[in-house]
Amino acid sequence: MSEPLTPDLPEDEALAAEHALGVLTAAERAAAELRMARDPAFAAHVDAWRERLAPMLAALPSVSAPVGLWPRIERALPANDNAGASVKLWRGLAMGGISVAAASLVAVIVLAVRPPQVVTPPQPDFAQLLNARLDTSGGQHLFVAAYDPVRKKLIVTSLVTPGADPAHVHELWLIPADGKARSLGLIEPGTSKTLPVPAGLSALAKEGASIAVSVEPPGGSKADGPSGPVAAIGKLARI
Amino acid sequence: MPATSAIDPLTELMPRIAAGDRAALRQLYQATSSKLFGVCLRILSNRDESEDVLQEVYITIWRRADRFEAGRASVMTWISTIARNRAIDRLRARGPLAYAEPVDELEIEDGAPRAEALLEAAQSSEALGKCLSELDERTEKVIRTAFFDGVTYEALAARMETPLGTVKSWIRRGLAKLKGCLES
Repeated sequence: MSEPLTPDLPEDEALAAEHALGVLTAAERAAAELRMARDPAFAAHVDAWRERLAPMLAALPSVSAPVGLWPRIERALPANDNAGASVKLWRGLAMGGISVAAASLVAVIVLAVRPPQVVTPPQPDFAQLLNARLDTSGGQHLFVAAYDPVRKKLIVTSLVTPGADPAHVHELWLIPADGKARSLGLIEPGTSKTLPVPAGLSALAKEGASIAVSVEPPGGSKADGPSGPVAAIGKLARI
Repeated sequence: MPATSAIDPLTELMPRIAAGDRAALRQLYQATSSKLFGVCLRILSNRDESEDVLQEVYITIWRRADRFEAGRASVMTWISTIARNRAIDRLRARGPLAYAEPVDELEIEDGAPRAEALLEAAQSSEALGKCLSELDERTEKVIRTAFFDGVTYEALAARMETPLGTVKSWIRRGLAKLKGCLES
């Protein structure tokens, strides 16, 4: 073959292209999403590759979404913003048509809140739990959190693969309505952890408050707030 | 402000959505839901699952609109990427059986646009379609399969009964050529 030789992509860009294309494993994808949060040059490569490949999606035929879908979405909005006004209405409806995603989230929480030897049904606490799915700017879930206001404990599960980024730690933050981040502690990749929420903070862990994870040097942030990039964030809401 | 934001009417919806304006989200939904539903259906081939994913996608947009950066990507690319990622997550959640198809079924005749169809679409699609069609047939097919089915290197290698390193080098070489072609 006499076709002109194309130079290989530099390793960083090749990885970015693979992430945009979607050929990485779940663990590699999570690592790439985390890297995007702290490495702007890498994030720019991923964005550029998403732009390059997106026309494949643009060329797909459009299909009208079902008529009833917008009302369903609209009903789900209150639980996902700060207003929280019609949460009760939404909860009632959601019990009927609970999505698989919510159901799987419940499953994760059940696993997280219930050590194997416990036989007490978790039902009574469940109604009280506030949940948050923490995702990246690309919409990938990296952490799930559930706050138990009775016990004043936050149960967090990291979906990040252990060893993906040994040079950094992940620090959890509570960001209530005033916008000021309060540290809740560190969470090891791939583990579940129950963190006691100090008395001064538990009053702030309300529906609509955000839980965030930042990428920090070993030992955590030395600053009064995250010193590294926020990799994932989500709001506390009732399921 | 980058020049692109001035010509993309969707861009001005994003700060409104981030501020909690439901009418703005509805406008975005009306303008883009059929496109994104098409994306979900193409990846999942299942209406019920596609509806669930589409709902999740707009709720994600509602919660994440403040993370949208106009200078980094177009609105359409950003929301299509969310839709594709969510649909692929759902596909992968079906489990290993989702990847058990034999290599013969790697063909994407069913609804995936071939190079010809791409040529009829928008200008950027035209350029990408042209560059994809300039790749050798096997590389084009593997790249399309990876993109639409969210198939990892491992799964591609298993499907094609080809060593992982070989598949990886096909794709990496294909992507390098694609970039060269798009920039020429």
